[in-house]
Order: sequence, then C-alpha cells, then structure tokens
Amino acid sequence: MASTNNRPSYILRYFDMIGNGESTRLMLTAANVEWTEERPEWPQEKANQPFGRLPVLIEKSTDGSPDFVICESGNIERYLGRTLGFIPADLRKAALQEQVRDQTFDVITSFAGFVRSTSEEDKKARLDAFWEILDKYIAVYSKHIQDNGNTGYLFGNSLSFADITTYVLFKNVLIGFAKFKEDIADYAKPKLTPEIIKLISTVEAEPSISKIVFKSGDLSAAVKA
Amino acid sequence: MASSTNTPSYILRYIDLIVLGESTRLLLTAANVEWTEEHPEWPKEKPNQPFCRLPVLVEKSTDGGPDFVICESGNIERYLARTYGLLPADLKEAALQEQVRDQITDVINTFVSFIEAISEEDKKARLEAFGELLDKFIAVYSVHIRNNGNTGHLFGNSLSFADIVTYVLFKNVVFGLVKFKADIADYTKPKFTPEIIKLISTVETDPKLTKFVLKSGNLSAAVRA
Repeated sequence: MASTNNRPSYILRYFDMIGNGESTRLMLTAANVEWTEERPEWPQEKANQPFGRLPVLIEKSTDGSPDFVICESGNIERYLGRTLGFIPADLRKAALQEQVRDQTFDVITSFAGFVRSTSEEDKKARLDAFWEILDKYIAVYSKHIQDNGNTGYLFGNSLSFADITTYVLFKNVLIGFAKFKEDIADYAKPKLTPEIIKLISTVEAEPSISKIVFKSGDLSAAVKA
Repeated sequence: MASSTNTPSYILRYIDLIVLGESTRLLLTAANVEWTEEHPEWPKEKPNQPFCRLPVLVEKSTDGGPDFVICESGNIERYLARTYGLLPADLKEAALQEQVRDQITDVINTFVSFIEAISEEDKKARLEAFGELLDKFIAVYSVHIRNNGNTGHLFGNSLSFADIVTYVLFKNVVFGLVKFKADIADYTKPKFTPEIIKLISTVETDPKLTKFVLKSGNLSAAVRA
C-alpha cells in the first residue's frame, strides 16, 4: 500500500475492545489514512505510556522530527475529528458536537463506576445512576435526531463526529458491556427509540467505514434480534 | 460598563462552588468579557437545563438571534479558550493542553466516585484510586513545568488554558472539595512539589486574573501554611 508523501500515519494503542477506542478506529477508517493498532501487554506496558493508561495515539512523523503522541480518548477523538474533518471548523458548531461526546463519556464512565463497585449496595446505586443517565441521553438525542429531519444524523446530512460517538455509545451498551453484565442488552434494547435505531443503521450503512464497522459486531442486527 | 459592539456577554449557570465552574470563571476573566453568574435553585431547576445538569454557559446573542447555550464543563472551557485565544490554534499544541484538562477530569471523577461510594470497602478503594491518580498527575506535570523552563507555566511563557485548569485542580483538592471531605487538604498538600507550588503562584499573580482569582481563596497562602 503506497502512502501519499507527507500524509501522516497513525498507531492506536489500546485494548481489544470497543470501549474508548472504537470511535478513533472509525474516524481513522472513514478518513482513509494509514493506521495500525498495537495491543500492549497489560499491565506490563503501563509504565511505558505517557500517563500510564490507554488509549494512546501516535502520529508518525513524516519529516524526521519526533512522533506526536497524545492520550485521553476524548482528546484523541477531538484531535482526529478536527484534523480529519469530522468536527466543523466553526467553534459553536464544534462545541455542540463535542458536547455529545462529553455526554457519551459521562454515560460510559457511569457504567465503569458500576463495574468497579464491590459491595451490593454500591453496585445497585451505580447501575441505577447508569440507567438514569442513559435514559436522559436517549431522550435528548432522539428529539435532536427528529428535529434534524429524522434522517439518522444528529447534525447536517452526513456522518459527523457526534454520529460516530453516539453509535459507539450504543455499541458499548448493547455489545461491549455484555462482558461485564451479561444481560445488559435485555434491559437496554427496550429503551432504544426509533430515532436511535435509525442513527445506528445510518452509521452502519456508511460506505467509508464499511471495511471495519462490523468487526466489533453488527449492532443493527443485535437491536432487531 | 460599555461593551464592545458585538462582543458577546456570558452567563455561567452553576452552583456557588469551585468544583467544575472555577476554570470557566477564570477563563471569562482572562478573556476580559462581560459575564455574570446564575445560581439556579437545585434540584428545582434541573428540568430547565439542556441535559439536566450544571454548568451551563449562555452566550448572549448580539444580533437578536437565539442565545447560544452549551453544557459539559470541559466543553464550555474549551469553547471559551478557543474563542478567546487561550488555547493555541495549532491542533497539536491544543491537544497537548486539552490532554491536561482531560486528565484533571479523571482525577475529579475519581474523587466524585469516592463521595458517591456507600460501603467502606468501596470508599477505601475509590480514595486510594484518587490519591494514585493525583500522584501521577503531579509527577508528570512537575517534570513538564521543569522542562518548560521552570517558570510556573506548563507551555510557553504566558497564562494558558492548561495553567488555568491545573491551578483549579489544586484549588479544588485544597479548598473546593473540603465540603465533601473535611481533611482533604491534609491529605493532598504534602504531595505538592516545588513546581506545582510555582505554577499556583504564577497563576495567582497573573495580571489578567487579579480582579477575580482570590475570591475563592488564596491558594498560595494555604499551600505555605
């Protein structure tokens, strides 16, 4: 595969899971840039990461200067989103999309709090909090999709940063999180609105990500099952 | 106070605490724009917020159009910092600063999960995790401050987004979070390195912030005490 002069290539360092890596995978794929993934042995490689955590993004240098290395999943996604054109240049439009990502992060973090809890009372409280924030997310963004012409896009008429992050949230909730709570899909599926289901199928039908989107599962099929 | 034609004014809607509002207050101050604060009755005003949470930023319209409203504290901070030049325009430089803020989010979220924990075992685990993350943050960024000429700035030679959010993290772990853990300062202050203490005093003496920064407490004095 010939690489275009001076187009950077990327390495994503992460675990073999959807989690906080999948949005990055989808954007790199949709942008048609060269990228590979590294799965560091964990926790052996913890000390070798800039902040002891994953994901990490490496943008390989094309001119002999040091590689550009960043971490924190939201930061990686926003950097790629801006560089590769998924986030609008207009600061207000960008903020409305970044807000979506920050809220998906709150939902995912909420579930992580449930996974980490040890006592039964903490597990219950954290799970309740997760469902509450997920319900809120679904309500707010179903309306948003409706108000945006009900085409399955959150903003405008084409795949955006916000669409990707929302798709990945539901992929996590219905598929990725099952390894931590086997029956999660039984509870989550009934909550999905037609608008959310439409976004899921719109994203999965997007040609620019077709070569990778189903590797982590077919979410439209899972939703219909 | 005359306002420049077409420079917007802002309303920050938050609780009367440092926590997730102070960086926005300092960014608005450094930007030298008109702004006020609203303290909505809580939880009464919860349903009236875009995502039922605070903070919310309202950018008052200057042309009769609707006001621009965003939420999520990190999103608000980045929007203001980009708009008023406290985050670099260069995407790579911006990402290195945004990374700092995302790591601070991780530290604060861990503390929040400590407050929310119910059982003793979960409380203990969450407090340890908070201490560990704070230690990591201090270690990484003390080196960073030293490598940047040891002037108390994280990047370059003047007050930046990263400096402000880092200052607020330390203000939180000494003052802001006291209402949630009365002895938190006894726990956190001994961890402060000379580099962190220098950043604190550099931020507190920056002319752009003097009219506001000490309203929520004198952190340099508290650190020396």
